[in-house]
Amino acid sequence: MNKRLRNALKGLTDPDIERRRRAMEPFERATFDDFKKVLYHHLGNETECEDLLEDVYADIWEKPARLRNVTSEKELLRTVYLYYIRRRLREVYREMNRHLHFSQKDLKNLVAPDLGILEMMSQSELRHILRRMLNRLKARERRAIELWMQGFSSRAIANEFRTTVGAVKMLEFRTILKLRQMFRNYCGGG
Amino acid sequence: MRDTNREIQELLVDYADALRDGCIPTYLSSLTREEAQRIASSREFSDAAEIVRILNSVGFADKAVTPNVSLFTSRVDAKITSRLKKAKALSKDKYAVRLPKT
Repeated sequence: MNKRLRNALKGLTDPDIERRRRAMEPFERATFDDFKKVLYHHLGNETECEDLLEDVYADIWEKPARLRNVTSEKELLRTVYLYYIRRRLREVYREMNRHLHFSQKDLKNLVAPDLGILEMMSQSELRHILRRMLNRLKARERRAIELWMQGFSSRAIANEFRTTVGAVKMLEFRTILKLRQMFRNYCGGG
Repeated sequence: MRDTNREIQELLVDYADALRDGCIPTYLSSLTREEAQRIASSREFSDAAEIVRILNSVGFADKAVTPNVSLFTSRVDAKITSRLKKAKALSKDKYAVRLPKT
């Protein structure tokens, strides 16, 4: 853990309210990008990410006890996700659940699941692995995923491939499962 | 007309699109009871959803920029101030209740 973050964490877990408040800014600067990326996994919308993070940081300021024994950046990310971010994420969707057909538990699993091994990896590590995995796919599978990542809709991909939307969705689904298997093998069966 | 009996592969791709486009609530409210049950009982869906979140994050999270982190930190500070005020007001109210009426 870098020195700046370690000092900020030390200030954050201080019993004095004002000292905690002063420690917030360096803490936010050191962690904002990482927290935002984790949230982006689940929300996919930067404005919502920032609104939710605002509450998360205020929660951390109010009840920082969970961060007392954190020693590494990975541990920090996991602790903040489990005890601060996940609760807020679930709140976002709790209100609308009255009109949905999901049970509360299923909704929670979909919108704010536990973090898997993959989601704990750094962006650069993930990007590197993903590039390797994509290289191992068939040309058509790879192209479908790349187009999706460029923002193409299924219909636009179908037009590109001169096929039906249904066929594209099936291709994407199978490719994603294939990627899942590759990631699992990479992580040693995890 | 909207497709109301989507298979699991269609549900997953629609979830991926919704996540990418930042409209998960719309996706959730578009699900019928059968579709929701299909998702809840599908192991493949939850496995694939994890990869979708990673693809979304790798593909798009870096493009999500915050032009000014200082602005964000001041927003958080304002939030903290308002929580402090609320806590003070709350403790004052409690004190007022405890005071004997004269």
